Amino acid sequence: MRFFGKFLKKNYNPKTDSDVLFSLSSAYLTLESKIGLKNSGRCALSLKSISGMYFNEMKDDIKRFLDISKTDFELTYRTVTDSYGYLWVILEGKRIEDLLAGISAVGDTVDEKGFSNQLLAAIFEFTTDRNKKQYLIYNYRRNSFYPFVPVDGSQKTRNTEEEMKMMATIGDEVPLEKDMTLWYPLWDLPL
Amino acid sequence: MVTVQLLIQLSSISRTPSWQRRDNGLTIRMILCFAILGLIIAVFLSVLAYLGLGIIPITIIAFLIVLAQWYFSDKIVLWMSGAKIVTRDQFPKLHDMVERIVARNNLPKPKIAVINTNMPNAFATGKSKKSSVVAVTTGLMDSLDDPEELESVIAHELTHIRNRDALVLTLVSVLPTIAWYLVQFGFYGGLHGGMGYGRDRNSGGIMIIVIVVAVLVWAISFLIIRAISRYREFSADRGAAQMTGKPVKLANALMKISGNMRRVPTKDLRQVEGLNAFFIIPAISGSTISNLFSTHPPTEKRVQKLMEMEASMS
Repeated sequence: MRFFGKFLKKNYNPKTDSDVLFSLSSAYLTLESKIGLKNSGRCALSLKSISGMYFNEMKDDIKRFLDISKTDFELTYRTVTDSYGYLWVILEGKRIEDLLAGISAVGDTVDEKGFSNQLLAAIFEFTTDRNKKQYLIYNYRRNSFYPFVPVDGSQKTRNTEEEMKMMATIGDEVPLEKDMTLWYPLWDLPL
Repeated sequence: MVTVQLLIQLSSISRTPSWQRRDNGLTIRMILCFAILGLIIAVFLSVLAYLGLGIIPITIIAFLIVLAQWYFSDKIVLWMSGAKIVTRDQFPKLHDMVERIVARNNLPKPKIAVINTNMPNAFATGKSKKSSVVAVTTGLMDSLDDPEELESVIAHELTHIRNRDALVLTLVSVLPTIAWYLVQFGFYGGLHGGMGYGRDRNSGGIMIIVIVVAVLVWAISFLIIRAISRYREFSADRGAAQMTGKPVKLANALMKISGNMRRVPTKDLRQVEGLNAFFIIPAISGSTISNLFSTHPPTEKRVQKLMEMEASMS
């Protein structure tokens, strides 16, 4: 059974980023029902900014798109550039579908403008009962997700146990990064 | 030789690159001791054979030696590893912890031993449930800061005791030796009627065939033992997770002990992104050949199975 399951999954494995991102919609529900992780209503997309007219044009396109679609999706957004020189498009909204649609639309816009190589990651934020933050990171290069749980108050340590729990919970639903050496963290998220 | 498998240790050899690998001092020391012991027995048996003792008496003596090895296995293992049985006064917390698990799972309390080394490791030994010993190193207690992780490791060792793995592996590990002798004597018996060596021209060729077949039989049964040992590790993991109800704790402890924890990066994605780390497809981790020979399954596999358990529980 498992062998065939693996076999089928390989063929089924969605190719495009937005397909993979939308597979999160069921994962959100599973995380909440099984380990009590709630959607914090925030997610973000980060891309390496470069100077130049075309990049700024794309930035404006993204903003215009998000302004227009405000009525369709209940989303608010802001953009931040961090100390590494990465542009963050941060989306806030109550509904999971809106967040996922917003993030993949932003990703598509970046792709259309030919900046897909600049895409770094999409980050989805969750909160625990004790109001602690846990994240799922989508790596655009690897087309897969991995968990990231920073330890509160301490510099650059992560809670591997919680990360493995998240991974075990949604292992069947979304493509996950199997190689833990590639679970690179994102410290000091501007979310 | 026979008793090497008696040692039921927690995973110590992982497939990490050599510079990351922990010092396997304890394991090497134990294997060396058992190898020397095995050699002495082999020499002893050979001397007996040379002195003209028949097949049957030698077999009986070999059997008795195996029996003695099994009977004294706990003492031999403790002596070789340098583990000291500790009282409640010396390690009250450790005693409390073991008592808790034992009481919850209706098992007799084993003796508790501590090995004074920085290397994180644990093992269980003993011929029956009542006379068993669980040994942990001071390094294990230091490196597992979460008491529930230490509890999981102890539960793993207790499962080995409950499953009687020491006995199973001793019995199973006698098989290759028996097979070896059977093949050798079988051939001689069949060809020469149990008498001395013939002087016909074919005897050289037959000798070679006998040796090849004996080696093959021995090698195959050696691999089978390894497979059984790995399987019993998985079931001990499973049993431990059932005892504690927290597979993730054992998974975490295994990661820490094997040094795999260090492999989860702390370097920021934005820092490594510039180095194009993602274009380097990770090398195929580990080789199947080393898996065939090891007594423990790779840590990743064990963690994966534990996480599957965790997922099915939530």
